[in-house]
Amino acid sequence: MEEHQEKIYLYPTPLRIWHWLHAFSIITLLVTGAELRFPEYVQLLGNYKASVRVHNAAGIVVGVSFVVWFIYYAFMKRNLFSIYIPSKEDIRHGMVRQALFYGFQYFRGEPNPHQVTLDNKFNALQKTAYMGVMLLLVPLVVVTGVLLMNVAFLRDMVLAVGGLNFLIGLHWLLACAFLAFLVVHLYLSTLGHTPWAHFIPIWTGWEEVEGHPKEDV
Amino acid sequence: MHKTLRGFLLLCAVSLALSVIGPGGLLPAFAWDDDDCVGCHGDPSIAEEGGAYLYVDPARFEQTSHADVGCTSCHDSVTDDHPEDDQRPSRAGCGECHDDVEAEYAESSHSESADCTDCHNPHNVRPLVGVSAVEVNRTCMECHGEEDVVASHGVWLPQTTLHIRSMPCIACHTASEEFTVTFYVESVTHGMSLDPTASPATHDQLMAMANEKEGVASILDGDGDERISIEELRTFYQKAKARDMRLWGMMTPEQVTHDFTTLDNRWDCSFCHARGPETLQESFVALPGPHGGYERIPVESNAVLGALYGSPDFYMIGATRSKVLTLLGALIVLGGLAVPVFHGTVRLLTMRYRRREK
Repeated sequence: MEEHQEKIYLYPTPLRIWHWLHAFSIITLLVTGAELRFPEYVQLLGNYKASVRVHNAAGIVVGVSFVVWFIYYAFMKRNLFSIYIPSKEDIRHGMVRQALFYGFQYFRGEPNPHQVTLDNKFNALQKTAYMGVMLLLVPLVVVTGVLLMNVAFLRDMVLAVGGLNFLIGLHWLLACAFLAFLVVHLYLSTLGHTPWAHFIPIWTGWEEVEGHPKEDV
Repeated sequence: MHKTLRGFLLLCAVSLALSVIGPGGLLPAFAWDDDDCVGCHGDPSIAEEGGAYLYVDPARFEQTSHADVGCTSCHDSVTDDHPEDDQRPSRAGCGECHDDVEAEYAESSHSESADCTDCHNPHNVRPLVGVSAVEVNRTCMECHGEEDVVASHGVWLPQTTLHIRSMPCIACHTASEEFTVTFYVESVTHGMSLDPTASPATHDQLMAMANEKEGVASILDGDGDERISIEELRTFYQKAKARDMRLWGMMTPEQVTHDFTTLDNRWDCSFCHARGPETLQESFVALPGPHGGYERIPVESNAVLGALYGSPDFYMIGATRSKVLTLLGALIVLGGLAVPVFHGTVRLLTMRYRRREK
């Protein structure tokens, strides 16, 4: 059996705090959001007003944490684009190579073509997915959420973007996309050399990279 | 004819005539009818002469049920010499007819602070469906200032301004259990401000959009079948957009009580924000008449959701969600679930093979 002894400190503490805060808030938003949209079926908090308040609070946490994340990578680390935007090589070959791995090679037990390093944490498909989530999905869901939280105060903007109905519809579809992403995210996290291999690093910070490099998530 | 006989016959004729028209005769004594009253009290100049309370808008009064019983039913002490007699005619108490309402109201805390006529002008009183929800709120806010209302509700009610703008106060502060969604035509400018006392569009404003012969209803009910279809709503919106008009939906109670109680279920948001009450699926468009009253036209049965496509500003979270969007969202989630289901299945099926490889 292949050894997995070499470890790199891939996820610093602030990043892990951000990840779990974000994860907790997103799950809270999904649960309370379901209660707000389907109150006759989902009654986990058992109080609609509490769901509104918790949903709003979790939304603010996600909004603030997104801004912190963006400032951290874009202005302090200055590597937002290299980490999250697919390179030409990623687009030309990386995506197909990674798709082939997930679709065929993984089942044959072949190694992951992407080698994790501190400067190259994500494979081409991960970069694309995270780019979509962090630079499109999250900002859109936060903006629509902010507008919906302040329908009276931001009335002109609500009408300018198409009205309350459009906003609610968009917010709902974005939330569904988030849930779909979460499902895929969690499943792909189990594709390490053991089902927990990719969960442990985002908790401890240390990633095993020798032999069978880290992948997915 | 002999002079004496002629004189006798003339005397008989005069006596007969007097007996017919005089007191106790076949014709009644002089009596006021509503036209007599409105002849003076329907002239706005009377307000300048004797006070605003003396003026009665004839067109509005004519629409009230009080007009059916007539002025003297309530002002029965008016004399033939009015107004020269310098006597102020009596006014009937509301409870003489509305005794059940009066008894209910007397039990409420409101009765200590306001009489019936502080909220209801008997010369301009209309049934609930004939009053716009905004008018109802304007009446309440004559005593309960808007800022105080927003502040006191803001302590517990999310989206306070929006709520107050979207339903009459009596939606919660009466014991009504049935509600409908009533749309009012408004100018966009009013809607943007969310001013809770902003008036819906007037009859004259709407007539500018309407077919003159068919009346104001023709702006929505194009085929005149007294029912508004989704298609007619869409057509309305195409015209209304150019005139900065739109529909503003408000949740209106179907009955009112005068106990001003706040039922326990009004504190539970899901009372409204759930698909529960069937009546909530009913909707109407209320259109102003030429003299201030409202007439409502039903919108296609169970069409609140469809109506919303023509009413981009109306959404009741949890209650009026779109089935189409719900389905679309479900498909997106299923798309995500398909990855673990299909990939996971193949993964399980090939697990033995991978173990052998290792």
